[in-house]
This record gives sequence, C-alpha cells and structure tokens, in this order.
Amino acid sequence: MSVALPSAEATRRPRLRVDPFVLLAAPGLLYLAILFALPLAILLFRSFQASDGTFSIAGYIAFFSDPHNLSVTWRTLKVAILSTLLCLVLAYPTAFALARARGIVQSLILVAMVLPLSVGVIVKAFSWSIVLRSDGIVNQTLLALGLVEAPVRLLFTETALVIGSANVFLPFMVLPIYAVVRQIDPELSPAAASLGAGPFFRFFQVVLPLTLPGVIAGVAFVFSLAISMYVIPSLLVGERLSTMSMLIARSFLFFRDAQLGSTISAILLLMAVIVVLGSSYLVRHVSGGRA
Amino acid sequence: MLQQTIGGVAAQQTVAPSAPYLSVEKIAKAYRETRVVEDLDFAVERGELVSLLGPSGCGKTTLLRLISGLVSADAGRVVVGGRDITRLPAHKRNVSVVFQNYALFPHLNVRENVGFGLKARGRAKAGIHDAVTEALQLVRMEAFADRPVSALSGGQQQRVAVARALVVEPDLLLLDEPFSALDRKLRETMQVELKSLLRAKGMTAIFVTHDQEEALAVSSRIAVMNAGRIEQYADPVTLYTRPATGFVLDFVGLSTRIAGTVSKSESGFIEVDTAYGVVRVPGRFRPGSKVLLGVRPERIRPVSPDAAPADSEVRITSMLADVMCLGSKTHLYGEAAEDDRLVSEVSGAQAAESLLPGESVAFEWPREATLVYPLGAA
Ligand SMILES: Nc1ncnc2c1ncn2[C@@H]1O[C@H](COP(=O)(O)OP(=O)(O)OP(=O)(O)O)[C@@H](O)[C@H]1O
Ligand SMILES: [Mg+2]
Repeated sequence: MSVALPSAEATRRPRLRVDPFVLLAAPGLLYLAILFALPLAILLFRSFQASDGTFSIAGYIAFFSDPHNLSVTWRTLKVAILSTLLCLVLAYPTAFALARARGIVQSLILVAMVLPLSVGVIVKAFSWSIVLRSDGIVNQTLLALGLVEAPVRLLFTETALVIGSANVFLPFMVLPIYAVVRQIDPELSPAAASLGAGPFFRFFQVVLPLTLPGVIAGVAFVFSLAISMYVIPSLLVGERLSTMSMLIARSFLFFRDAQLGSTISAILLLMAVIVVLGSSYLVRHVSGGRA
Repeated sequence: MLQQTIGGVAAQQTVAPSAPYLSVEKIAKAYRETRVVEDLDFAVERGELVSLLGPSGCGKTTLLRLISGLVSADAGRVVVGGRDITRLPAHKRNVSVVFQNYALFPHLNVRENVGFGLKARGRAKAGIHDAVTEALQLVRMEAFADRPVSALSGGQQQRVAVARALVVEPDLLLLDEPFSALDRKLRETMQVELKSLLRAKGMTAIFVTHDQEEALAVSSRIAVMNAGRIEQYADPVTLYTRPATGFVLDFVGLSTRIAGTVSKSESGFIEVDTAYGVVRVPGRFRPGSKVLLGVRPERIRPVSPDAAPADSEVRITSMLADVMCLGSKTHLYGEAAEDDRLVSEVSGAQAAESLLPGESVAFEWPREATLVYPLGAA
C-alpha cells in the first residue's frame, strides 16, 4: 500500500518503506508460518511443559542425564558430519565436471544426479540391504575371492549409515556448488596463471573462495538433512544404533512422552539451526562480504 | 666452467643482435580436426608494440594463448629473450595477459587484484603495497584502491587489468582486444594512454584487435592474420600500398576489387577478362588463371565516359551506384558484379553534388597502380 506512494510520504516515514519484491515472498512465507513455524513453536513450548501443564525443564534434565541419549546425540552428530564431509569430497569435483561439460554429457550428469532422488529412500535402503547383507553379493564376492574368511558385517554399522546417507544427499551438495561454479568466469584461472600463480595458489586464492558460498549452502543442506534422517537409519542400522530422529519417534509413538519427544526435537532443531546460521554467517564474512 | 661461461656469453652476444626478442617458430595448434593456428612464424623486437589484426575466429586469441602458455602447442617453439619457453607452464613464463573481458577477480578489491601476481610470486607485504600503489598511480586509479572491482566502470576495470598485468614486470605483455568493450571516445583515450605507458616502461607488447583503425593508432607494425596464418607483417604504409595478398587488400583499408580471368600474357603485362571488359595491367600470370585486381580508391579518378583514354591508364565504365560524402572526401561507388567492388575517392564534397546515382561513369587509374593477386578456389 504505502510502497507505491510518492516520495513526500516516503521521506516522512522512510523506515516503513518495503521493497515491493519482498511481497513476492509473502505466499511462501505465509505457508511456512502456518505449516512449519507454528507447529514448531508449539513443540518448543511443550518441551517446557510437564504432563500436568506446568512449566518445567524436567524434559531437558531427563534427556541429558541419560547416557544413552547422549551417545545417540553424539552418534547423530558424528554421522551427520561424516556424511556431509563425504558428500563434499564427492560433490566438489562433480560440480566442476558438471559446469564444464557441454550438451549431452552435461544433461547425462544432471540426470544421473537428480534421477536417484525420484527412486525414494525406502527403495534405495532396501536395495542396499540386499547387496550388503551377510549373504549379499558383496560378501559373496569377498568370500569367493578369499579376501575374507567369514562374512563381514556391512549392514547395521555406522559406516553403512554414513555411506548410505551420503548417497542419498549427494545431489543436495552437488547442485548448490554447481550453481556457483557456473557463475565463475572461466578466464579467471588462466588469468591467475598468467600472473604467475601455480595450481595450488590458484585453487586456494581464486577457485575455493569463489566456490565457498556454494560449498557452505551445500553443507547446510546436507547437514540438516543428515542430522534429522529417520528412514535411512531405521532401515540400515535399525534400533541397534539409533539416531535422534528415531528417539523422537519412539518417545512420541511408544512412550507417549510428549515432553521428551518435544525436548529432543528442540535440541535437534537447535543443532541444525546453529549449522545453517553459521554457514550463512560464513558466506557473508569469509568471502569478505562481496560474494 | 669458466670456459663454458665465456662461451655462453659469447654465443649469446653473437646471436642477440640478429635474433628478435620474441620469436614464435612454426607454431601449430589444432582442436580435434580443426587447425586453428598453422605453422606460424612471428617475431617482435625488444620494446616494440605490435598489433595482431584479423577477423573474428582467425586464431588471434589462440596465438596469444600459445605464447602465454595457456594452451600447449602441437608443434613449434616460443622463444623470449633467448629463452625457449615452449615447455614451460603459463605461471612460469613471466608473460602477462590482459584479457578481453578483463578477468578481474570478483572476490578481491582493486588493490588485491593488482597485487595478486606479486603475492603469487611470494613477495613481502610491504613491497607489494608500494608496488601496487605505484602501478595504480600509473593508470590513475589510486583513488579506487579499496573499491570492489564490481563497483568500477568498464574503462576503470580496464585500467586495473592493465595495472595488474604490468605490476609483475613481465618479459612480455599480451593484450587481447583490451578496448573492445569500451565506447569509441574512451577507446581512443585509452589507446593513447596505453601507448605512452608501454613506451615509458620499455615494455614489449602484442596488441590484438579486429579493428584496423585501432591497430594503426596503437602500433608500429601490424601482423594481419587470417585463418590461422599471418598473411602480412609490416608497417601501416606498406600494408596499405603493397598488400601482400588479396585478403590484406580487403581487410586493411578500402579498395576496388575486380575478379577476372587472364586471357593473354606477354612481356610483363596481362590482359584480364572482367565483368567490365578487358583490362591490361602489369603482371605475370598464365592465361586461364583467375586473378583479383585491386586498386586503392584514391588512385582512381571518375572521368567522363566520352573522353579518350590515355594509354598509361586503365579505364572501365559502369553506372554510378552510390555517392558517399565523408566531409573532406567523397566516395563514389560504381555498379559492380557480385563480390566485386568499384570505389573511387575524390577530395572535397563537390563531387557529391555534381554526380548523381544512375549516371554512367568511367573509372580510370594508372596501370601500375593495379595490384594483382591469384584468386584461389576460396
Ligand atoms: N577450446 C577450443 N576448442 C575448440 N575450438 C576452439 C577452442 N578455442 C578456439 N577454438 C576455435 O579456434 C578458432 C580461433 O579461435 P580464436 O579464439 O583464436 O579466434 P580469435 O581470432 O581470437 O577470434 P575473436 O576475434 O572472435 O576473438 C575459432 O574457430 C574457434 O572456434
Ligand atoms: Mg579472441
């Protein structure tokens, strides 16, 4: 309303002026507010509410005093970090290949990246269990080659969880990095070379700083997906090695303990928020505010 | 040991006076089957600024990249100051390049951009600061040192790119159409500035352009390039008055061009069948060969078709197609066959008033002003 008013109005109340383009985000924001922020607020509120409805931090105390919960938290964090790192290592060169490839090759890599997303996590996880179980093809091959004497446990390990989740999350790391690499002038590296910069100097002084925003966005994506994953660990490692999401589900569904469930949710959310906010802070400050 | 050193010095001294500072020998580059640069020879003297002039896609950028090491040669050698650098990677060649699109680093400010090369060479911070300040003063950009490069105009970015390339004191500076993105006025200013800057530094430089006026304005010698080869490498006057090939005739300056077939050849003269009748010009070609006749427009006079031609002149008649008054001179275009061009240049603007398109006109020029080139299958 006041956005389109002439300047007399605007100078009197300069702080109230809104960039009209911000309004374009309104529907999306409204949607998120109703379906995400509101329930989340209720959840947070309930984490501080005892069963009789009074304010209490008993949920948090209970959570942190149980060593099992702490080990689950630690494992969730560790798996999320390792999975994010694995994704980063695999995605970084892939993003460059994707950006430099032309025509059909580029389309093929893109399809190879995105298509697995449509397969669905459950199908994927089941197919891994077929391949990885003790009489699965991997173990049969290892046995046949005489590399191992007895079947190796591949399923139900943290390693399986890291590898499996990285597989699912890889596109979420590749695509943001690819989007940034695409924007980089391909003459910059030659320019640096002609100024006397060797390959390492070029990478650390030119390529890496310029791709950092994509890396950080990818890390934020994959980390928040990995820290909250539920289906993959349920199928790959089961109850034996729970993650926080599984704890949350169990609290709500089996124990009917809404406060504990809400508490774990709040802690999980806090960890994700720290990483996401930390990343966007890094984007703005590590790249000198010019990215 | 001593013997060797003396021998080395002596050898250098005997070679140096005759060998050019930069010499590119039989260099070749192909991308898959396309040969982009073919057995090309090129040389630049120390402190010289030469232009590389040619149409789009003729391989100018590729030649610069071969010299700077940004692409590797399939064959041939690059020698700078007696040092064979053919096998060295770009970052060890000490050859600076100013890129067509400037290629400034967007994450660095002006000062950091200019200091990049010195930092890559491991110079001390204080030394870098002083050298960068001096380089920025040289291009009159010291007031912008702390700006991000995205906040600069095209001309300012251009200056930063030049400062960045010069501050490392390269053995050779290569400029790839550095002013093509600038408007005409700014381009002319920058040409003058660059020329005096390079001269003051005694820098040896190659300037790529596809604009012949720019080549003439900037350099003492011009290499005209076409389809991966250098067609002629000479000073502007020679290029204009004695173009080595039909391509140079066409590409440098305006010219009348007439295709024809040699019908008779005797005692240093040929008779050529053209769309405007038979003309007799000096030349040695076998009867039956296809030739291209070229004449610079200021050698051609429009005359009345009725006047009797002198024996020393070539005359053809045509219809006046267009009259272009350019102020101090006027260009008269005759109706020409396809791929031919008939143009005469007369001084002053009166001709534009006295002659009307559609009138029949005769063009006359001295026989010895005719340039004759073989006309290949191309
Ligand atoms: N990396 C490459 N792969 C394949 N072909 C290439 C490559 N680089 C250049 N070419 C081809 O080589 C030829 C010469 O290119 P080059 O860039 O040297 O031309 P140029 O004279 O600089 O042209 P312009 O005036 O348009 O810049 C062109 O036909 C181009 O398509
Ligand atoms: Mg080019």
